Amino acid sequence: MSTAVLNNGVIHVSDQCKACDHCTSICPTGAIQGRLGEKHHIEIRKCINCGQCLINCPFGAIDDFSMVNERIRKALDNPHQFVVVQEAPAVRVALGEEFGLAPGTNVKNKMYAALRKLGFDKVYDTEFAADLTITEEGTELIHRVFNALGVPGFEHAGPLPQFTSCCPAWVKYAEDNYPQILPHISTAKSPQQMFGAVSKTYLAEKLSLDPGTIYSVSVMPCTAKKYECDRPEFIASGYKDVDAVMTTRELAQMIKTAGIDFVNLPDERADQFIGSSTGAATIFGVTGGVMEAALRTAYEVLSGEALGKVDFQAVRGLDPVREAVVEVPVKALGGKTLPVSVCIVTGTRYVAPIIEDVLADRSNYHFIEVMNCPGGCINGGGQPIRRDTY
Amino acid sequence: MHIFAEKAGMTRRQFLKGSGLLAVTVIVSGIFAKIGIDAFAAGDNYIAQRAAGLYSLDEKMALRKSHENPEIIEIYREFLSPGEEKYLSAKAHHLLHTKYGKNIPAFIEELKAPGQNENSHEAA
Repeated sequence: MSTAVLNNGVIHVSDQCKACDHCTSICPTGAIQGRLGEKHHIEIRKCINCGQCLINCPFGAIDDFSMVNERIRKALDNPHQFVVVQEAPAVRVALGEEFGLAPGTNVKNKMYAALRKLGFDKVYDTEFAADLTITEEGTELIHRVFNALGVPGFEHAGPLPQFTSCCPAWVKYAEDNYPQILPHISTAKSPQQMFGAVSKTYLAEKLSLDPGTIYSVSVMPCTAKKYECDRPEFIASGYKDVDAVMTTRELAQMIKTAGIDFVNLPDERADQFIGSSTGAATIFGVTGGVMEAALRTAYEVLSGEALGKVDFQAVRGLDPVREAVVEVPVKALGGKTLPVSVCIVTGTRYVAPIIEDVLADRSNYHFIEVMNCPGGCINGGGQPIRRDTY
Repeated sequence: MHIFAEKAGMTRRQFLKGSGLLAVTVIVSGIFAKIGIDAFAAGDNYIAQRAAGLYSLDEKMALRKSHENPEIIEIYREFLSPGEEKYLSAKAHHLLHTKYGKNIPAFIEELKAPGQNENSHEAA
């Protein structure tokens, strides 16, 4: 039921818990309770559903709430339901690990083929919605910058700096701990939710379908996306944006259960209308990627010039907090150069001082990307578990 | 008295026994440290490999900027802002944007009873 995730949380400690206390050092919010030698439990109100404890538990004693049997299989078995699926960028470079391939191997085209074999009616891509997120969130940033510069006509734009809104663990952390910072978070929905809204409106029109018969599923590297899809406000189309979420691990399990020879599948493509994407969308899966994608579009829109080199090396890397300044010539200001100051945070435990600076008016940043998991979605709580690291 | 007197220095046998034990301890702890370091490096390594996988996919894509995606251009021109490519159009705002925290209950009411409070979306 849709309230299960909201009331009980996504992440649970099983009886396999050996009370080793490793998870309490991993949890970014201090949500895991229990003394050394005592079975631990998760305090739902503090938990941001990120699943970092789950992928780092040496005993495999932490589980996530599954929607596979109760929702996804039932929809696939129902002939009256038109089941569409989206997959996040980070899934395609980790799914192969479950079938013996090296980390980082791109299995995008085999993943599309496997989803068709599993019975999904149409196979699309979250990357389309990531591109849509950039045009919306990037434009929102430009409006906030214009508002701050006093350009007439942008008085209704929100304050600077703007924080990204793609990561549902980060959004819940902000809501739980820093409600004063919420006007700084982009109002743009995450790519997952944008895809859902578009699948029940634009896609229904394009395919001449009753939106009520469309069942929208997503494959995510993330456990917090299960919580996000059940949040009650995602109903702008008149329907629930996303009906069910499975993790990379759960997709691998479905493929194995169905007896599909994954590595020998033919390469296939995503379906038309909401299935194509750009490289900017692909890098959403790694820390700094949303920032880089936004800079590519914002630079061209603000300057009116084509960007020669699209790589912004300054925002890349795996350090938990990184910053950069990008000089952007702004056409609307007569070509005056604006130094756009950006910050990237990967790991929610590092974000508090940055929020404190913003609230105390000490921050010079324009745009701040926050991803809960160290390294970004590629290291999300729904990704294949690397037991070889213990 | 001589019962408690200690003999000065140590025998050759005692020296070999002591240094042998010390050497074994150093080697064994070195092996454990190496295992630990490798495990730590491997832990970081697969994250870096997945990141490299995404960056190399990005480089191979024909288009690398979101606003150049032909299906993005099409969804604005046909659906979100008919006839033009207007980001943050009213329809885009309605379908693709949200609210947070204490603003959510009123936002849900607004979505369930459309038309009553249409211009309120500008306030974040």
